[in-house]
Amino acid sequence: MTHEVIASTGIDAAGLAEDEYPLGTDMVLNIGPQHPSTHGVLRLKLVLDGERVVSAEPVIGYMHRGAEKLFEARDYRQITMLANRHDWLSAFSNELGVVLAVERMMGIAVPDRAVWLRTALAELNRVLNHLVFLGSYPLEIGALTPVFYAFREREKIQAVLEEASGGRIHYMYNRVGGLKEEVPLGWTRRTREAIGEVRKTLPDLDILIRRNEIFMARTVGIGVLPAEQAAAFGASGPVARASGLDFDLRRDEPYLAYGDLDVPVVTRTTGDCHARFECLLDQVYVSLDLAEACLAKVDQLSGPVNVRLPKLVKAPEGHTYAWTENPLGVNGYYLVSRGERTPWRLKLRTASYANVQALTTLLPGTLVPDLVSIMGSMLFVVGDVDK
Amino acid sequence: MKGIGLAKGLAVTLKTMTRRATTRQYPDVEPELPPRTKGVIALIEENCTVCMLCARECPDWCIYIDSHKEEVVVPGAARARQRNVLDQFTIDFSLCMYCGICVDSCPFDALHWSPEFEYAEYDVNDLLHGRDRLREWVLTVPAPPAQDANGAPAKEQAAAEKALAAAAAKAAAQAEAGTEDGNGRM
Repeated sequence: MTHEVIASTGIDAAGLAEDEYPLGTDMVLNIGPQHPSTHGVLRLKLVLDGERVVSAEPVIGYMHRGAEKLFEARDYRQITMLANRHDWLSAFSNELGVVLAVERMMGIAVPDRAVWLRTALAELNRVLNHLVFLGSYPLEIGALTPVFYAFREREKIQAVLEEASGGRIHYMYNRVGGLKEEVPLGWTRRTREAIGEVRKTLPDLDILIRRNEIFMARTVGIGVLPAEQAAAFGASGPVARASGLDFDLRRDEPYLAYGDLDVPVVTRTTGDCHARFECLLDQVYVSLDLAEACLAKVDQLSGPVNVRLPKLVKAPEGHTYAWTENPLGVNGYYLVSRGERTPWRLKLRTASYANVQALTTLLPGTLVPDLVSIMGSMLFVVGDVDK
Repeated sequence: MKGIGLAKGLAVTLKTMTRRATTRQYPDVEPELPPRTKGVIALIEENCTVCMLCARECPDWCIYIDSHKEEVVVPGAARARQRNVLDQFTIDFSLCMYCGICVDSCPFDALHWSPEFEYAEYDVNDLLHGRDRLREWVLTVPAPPAQDANGAPAKEQAAAEKALAAAAAKAAAQAEAGTEDGNGRM
């Protein structure tokens, strides 16, 4: 962290009206960028008045890898590999967006078994993603223990995903037209067992932190994001739903097998840090139920999990926009093709990017210690912000 | 009541304290990895025809292949045939993204995943695995897991069953022809 004390007339304090602080000295405090794996790689430029944040500007781009440009020089199977990395906590769901877009363009009908397996895996991926935040968020505000419980649960789900796809983080299990290969024998049973175990032991994490007085003191009423502002910034996912925006693509614009499932949408109305945390926690239970329902259906379906593809997979000329309800919110891929093996343009709309923008209005007026609470609860992955 | 959340949390801690830890002491206890685990890529050189598909399909181009052509004189053939001979096959595991597209795209089953993962190096250059190291990994490649019976059989399995059926049919036909032959002679 660098400290910089400058006069309010300085250019770095731009955005502050001079008459607001005619004589005082404001502190411009940089938070981050620090390490690529922490929230720190998002740089926040704060103007402080004592302990109070006067203005906050998220400076993004420190992790920009040019994913969209790289997409333009890769075929669709290779894009899947790149796409599952921008949000490294929801690799499966990211892959899904790309293949859904290409399948729609090519008019490929994905076999039922693949659709239901994908849905199950997407929900398991959601559980994995949420468990990271359920562990890391309390950690960020000083509760060391929950992360161990969260990762204990994660390991169980990760084991079944690794068994099917071979990957622990970057699955590469989606292909245009279905899945890479059939799941191993007995996989659905083992996955059901894993879900059962998680369901049995998840209350540990729940009891430990949800109603913990210290945790409540740090989060209740802190960082309230009104519904209008959440909508204005394009926030989505648990962040928006915690503010009362009852919007979930799984229910409102069903893709995969969600149309045949009853998707309960977890919402809160208070829009504070605690509401966001609760949304996350309750969504895990919902996702476990959904995954189990999908697995039951998978066991009734037989047939292939992918289709025979032409030797060269080319999306026909045109464009489409595929959006999915990723764990962190709405994830969209705008695919423009000129009929070649590579897309002409593949624009990414990521949930984290929109969620981070809301910090600009969320932070001013809060105290510095609350800043950590708010940042952690806004649910973003910096790779997903910077692309 | 104040403090009830803390008390409940402490109860969880107490409960966990009485249970065995779920932690496994990694270097002492080896992890059990499923056969599909993407640990390292093994090369069965004999299967490689230097078609370069893997090197071209690799999203970050971390496979380096060199080869030369050799003439093979086939007795009875009008012209000598040309054959690709592999000189170099190197995978740069410092670049590899572990997507498995090369393993997927190899039409001759020369590349396979192995769950081995303990090949960290002090020098990044040592992450270039040449032919010899890639061959060593072959010994660690596990058999693929059986697939869910509800799904369609794997391509390899279907092909093997077809070949088996064809061989059986051929053998049956031969046996039939043989008995007819024998009958005719008798």
